[in-house]
Amino acid sequence: MVRRVLRGVGIYAVLMGIAWCALAPILWALSGSLKRSGEIAEQTLLPASPQWSNYGRVFDLLPLGRMLVNTAVYAVCVTAGQVFFCSLAGYAFARLRFRGREVLFVAYLGTLMVPLTVTVIPQFLLMRALGWVDTPWAMIVPGLFGSAFGTYLMRQFFYTLPMELEEAAILDGCSTWQVYWRVLLPHTRPALMVLAVLTWITVWNDFLWPLVMIQRNEIATATLGLVRLQGQYHTQWPILMAASMVILLPLLLVYAIAQRAFVRGIAMSGLGGR
Amino acid sequence: MARKRERAGWVFVAPNVVAVGVFLLFPLGFSLYLSFYSWDLFRPMRFVGVENYRRLVGADPLFLIALRNSAVFTVLTLVPTVVIGLGIAAALNRKLAGIGIFRTVAFLPLVASTVAMAVVWRFIFTDDGVLDIGLAWVGVGPVPWLTDPELALVSLSVVTVWKSVPFATVILLAAMQGVPEPLYEAAKIDGAGALRRFSAITLPLIRGPLSFVFVITIINSVQAFDQVYALTGSNGGPETGTYLLGIMLFQHAFGFYEVGYASALAWVIFAILLVLTMVQLWFARREAVDL
Repeated sequence: MVRRVLRGVGIYAVLMGIAWCALAPILWALSGSLKRSGEIAEQTLLPASPQWSNYGRVFDLLPLGRMLVNTAVYAVCVTAGQVFFCSLAGYAFARLRFRGREVLFVAYLGTLMVPLTVTVIPQFLLMRALGWVDTPWAMIVPGLFGSAFGTYLMRQFFYTLPMELEEAAILDGCSTWQVYWRVLLPHTRPALMVLAVLTWITVWNDFLWPLVMIQRNEIATATLGLVRLQGQYHTQWPILMAASMVILLPLLLVYAIAQRAFVRGIAMSGLGGR
Repeated sequence: MARKRERAGWVFVAPNVVAVGVFLLFPLGFSLYLSFYSWDLFRPMRFVGVENYRRLVGADPLFLIALRNSAVFTVLTLVPTVVIGLGIAAALNRKLAGIGIFRTVAFLPLVASTVAMAVVWRFIFTDDGVLDIGLAWVGVGPVPWLTDPELALVSLSVVTVWKSVPFATVILLAAMQGVPEPLYEAAKIDGAGALRRFSAITLPLIRGPLSFVFVITIINSVQAFDQVYALTGSNGGPETGTYLLGIMLFQHAFGFYEVGYASALAWVIFAILLVLTMVQLWFARREAVDL
């Protein structure tokens, strides 16, 4: 009996330790964001008197509000496009027979292997040729019409839906579009959620692409803003921590709400970040 | 009807196929083409054959440094990520009251922006920062986390491991939950201890996902950029302590405007990743046959 209790305590201690490792840096940043500059070197988790004004100063030093709105706009557009075009193509790959389908799909899977670092230079040149460098188009259009990854994810899900759903609709005289839009799409909501959450997070946290594409602060993303702020105020820790928290918090909140869909998405797709 | 559906198939995939072609496949091919040219974005392109590759491998000491740093960094990141990820997945793979909360918290770093977390870690690594004070308690002197060239790479991998362990954990935990319970019970009856059950049942049965975690972690480490840029700057300092392949690529492409040379580097990185992935898949398959 005593042994079992001890074992239980031990297991929970290990779990608490794991949770602490995941949380500690974030809590420390939160604490740092509320400290006075002189207080920074003190190792207290709770600041003597929380300086909420640090957050106000971040917004004074940097158009961070604007940048957050920009990032949200990019994320909304790309997410909407991904969800629509990937589900459309995923449906076709899973359910419609057409010439060249298999070959095309294998080619698709191959492109999943291509890392961003290999293509970023020509992608930049392409954007330059289109005149989209330093415009929001560069942030939105490349992801708008879907991706190989999203299509693959949606195709896997469409496969799991029962054939009868579709057959009944076809007998009733539905067009292919109606079958997709009215009959099947409502059933794919879990997968759509997963794709939407993953896309949102990717765009929100993206860094290399905006770094290469965007100069003007008016159209910059929040991560870009943070790095620029770091360059200018590299020792003002309370300011930098406040800025970091402003970027982290929205996603942490989304995560708290959509945690199940998110974790399942990672496990299902086996893809974390780019 | 069938013909209609065939046509619809093409129409439905068309926007996606065009986008992948224009924004991914074309750039992929174009970067290979560029790698045989010398170009600074302004003057006309000049064909130089394999000169870029020759310069990279034979005449650029910084390439060897970047390669070495990336290799060391990959090992420093890969091993802890897999080992810690396995341990945490095993700890979270229990039916306990409140386990859902622990899982939620443990996976949290997945959504945190790499750049924002690198800035946070810079704060943790500062002189007389929280880490140094903690170490002072156990009698270890202040550590120059980001100012010592050798140590900076270690610090960089600490940040990366923090960020990448949860990903490994999610994959491995999902795999562990697919292992049939009766196997464990049978082993228990045969008197196998927890460690033995883990090594004889769990590990062999999650080999596929484990090898996937290996591949993804390697791919991410070889390409690492965001955290390096935010933690130690765009030059890969201190000295060449964190001069990784990703930083070198960025510097040549967008700092020096040596587009051809940077493209050659990109393809060398791509080739390295392909070879590592193939080797990994080959090992995974061979071991599976042994089973």
